[in-house]
Amino acid sequence: MRRPRASLRFSEARFAVFLVLPTLVAIFVVVLFPLAYSLWLSFTDVNLLRTTGPGIEILGVRVPLFRWIGLRNYLRIIDDPLYWSSLWRTLYFVGAFVLEAAVIGMGMALVLQERFGGRPVMRSLLLIPWSLSRVVVGLLWIGILDFEFGMLNGVLARLGLIDGYISFLKDGFTALNVLVSVYMWNQAPFATLLFLAGMQSISMDLYSAAEVDGAGYWQRFRYVTLPALRSVVFLVLVLATVNGFLMLDLIYVLTMGGPANDTTTLSWLGFQTTFAFFKFGPGTAILYTLTALCLLLTFVYHRLIVARFEPEG
Amino acid sequence: MGMLTAAERGYRGGRYRARSAGSRVLLYALIVAVALWLVGPFIWLFVTSVSYQRNLLARPLALIPPEVTLDNYKMILGLVRFHAEGQASKILPSMLNSLVVAGLVTVLNLVIGTTAGYAYARFRFPLKTLSLFALLFTRMLPTVVLIPAFFLMLRAAGLQNTLTGLVVAYCSFTLPFTVWIMKAYFETVPAELDKSALVDGCNRLQAYTHVVLPVSGPGLMAGGAFTFMLCWNEFIVAQVLNTKPGTTTLPPVIAGMNGQINIDYSVIAASGFLGALPAVLLVLCFQKYLVQGLTAGSVKG
Repeated sequence: MRRPRASLRFSEARFAVFLVLPTLVAIFVVVLFPLAYSLWLSFTDVNLLRTTGPGIEILGVRVPLFRWIGLRNYLRIIDDPLYWSSLWRTLYFVGAFVLEAAVIGMGMALVLQERFGGRPVMRSLLLIPWSLSRVVVGLLWIGILDFEFGMLNGVLARLGLIDGYISFLKDGFTALNVLVSVYMWNQAPFATLLFLAGMQSISMDLYSAAEVDGAGYWQRFRYVTLPALRSVVFLVLVLATVNGFLMLDLIYVLTMGGPANDTTTLSWLGFQTTFAFFKFGPGTAILYTLTALCLLLTFVYHRLIVARFEPEG
Repeated sequence: MGMLTAAERGYRGGRYRARSAGSRVLLYALIVAVALWLVGPFIWLFVTSVSYQRNLLARPLALIPPEVTLDNYKMILGLVRFHAEGQASKILPSMLNSLVVAGLVTVLNLVIGTTAGYAYARFRFPLKTLSLFALLFTRMLPTVVLIPAFFLMLRAAGLQNTLTGLVVAYCSFTLPFTVWIMKAYFETVPAELDKSALVDGCNRLQAYTHVVLPVSGPGLMAGGAFTFMLCWNEFIVAQVLNTKPGTTTLPPVIAGMNGQINIDYSVIAASGFLGALPAVLLVLCFQKYLVQGLTAGSVKG
């Protein structure tokens, strides 16, 4: 009895490997190898002008290897006060972004879960900010926030709320907070979608029971909705944290890290060091410290969410 | 059994007895506020794109534009001459590049990523858990850390400033999602379907291509639409890898125009609106499948 079953399993496994192999090879070539190669670059003295010398062959392409200089790139970046100020700024940015995205995302979900005419249309609207390129997101907020032609200054002035115009992107701390909120505008709708999906599976009996017990709206939210959404809330927090660490494109469009480095986060610093100043060694070192933070979070994410809900992996 | 979920009774946690007049007013005020917050900025982008710059600068500001014009669109489409037409003439070719790159990446993803998703949903095989963990891990990976490596690898391969290079690079962040979304989708397709196909004399590959795939339209649409959207909108990778004129995609061109002081905002707004439209329409068309697929295979994005 056992043998045929075993051989059937074997052919099933072979077939499965045949199905996943193209993807795994692709992931190796476009993710795992570049990831290792970037790590290597962060320990070397990258010289973009050099075309000869040692290299490593992958798929018939000779990728250059540069001179190993140990931890020198890392020592160089942690010696730079800008690295540390960017790190603190990144932490502020991430904290503020996670808070805003979770609170506004939940707020919108609470409104959209109510029963009203046109609710499907409202849910479609959620997808609009989220489906825009960040370049366009930045662009349309420039149209609203710009000092000269921005709509917000025009409206505020017209309502008589301000005397002079506000320069939302020229004052450092204001600009950082504007970046947080603009990114939140783009990302919070996705949190709302996750919250709404979670809310749909909450048993109605829990609400009836709470109501019988005389619970008001906020008590039902606090003692029924929120506990039931615990895993979704956690997922939203982790995704927002990772996305906050990585945000780069909005900075490019809105502030370029300025004024005077006041919106320079670690990802922007690493990006600029690598691609504006072409210092690949220190640049990848900065990006790798950022990656380390993200991977730490991935580990937490996997342990607390995926491992709990998908024991099969 | 007998437990009705909130969704089944059309009740989502609010009061299901008649609302008081006060709470109804509050609810509708909140709905209007949320709607304005979500689409107001995008509508304003459209308004600016059909306005003259002088009306945007005018104070007091008129929220309803006193003059409506298609000049901005004519400029970026090359129908009228203006001082920055060199910049504007890049819009259409770069849109074509975006279309080619996003289209190719989507097809690649749907062919190999879907196949892998099916295997992960159905079979046990060696290293399954490990490779699935690797995929999850790549989803959380900052793409930006890969760009220095892509830069040197593609340069070594002679693929710098080519669309092929971008297609390769884009697979790094799309493929893990496609596998994940499709795995989640195939888990909802009953395995009895494959089994009966095998009984009917199909081999395993035929069971997949002839029986399972034809009923997987919703999953494929979700995965395809999401991949296309990610590629169409991607900015940083294209900005860094394809710097030669004519080789890049739309977002870097729009960002480049934004950096020029001699181009009116209204013209840039027109190109932004035009560039946003395909992704927005695509997402709205496939929203049902997309939302299902994304909330099932929860995602960074």
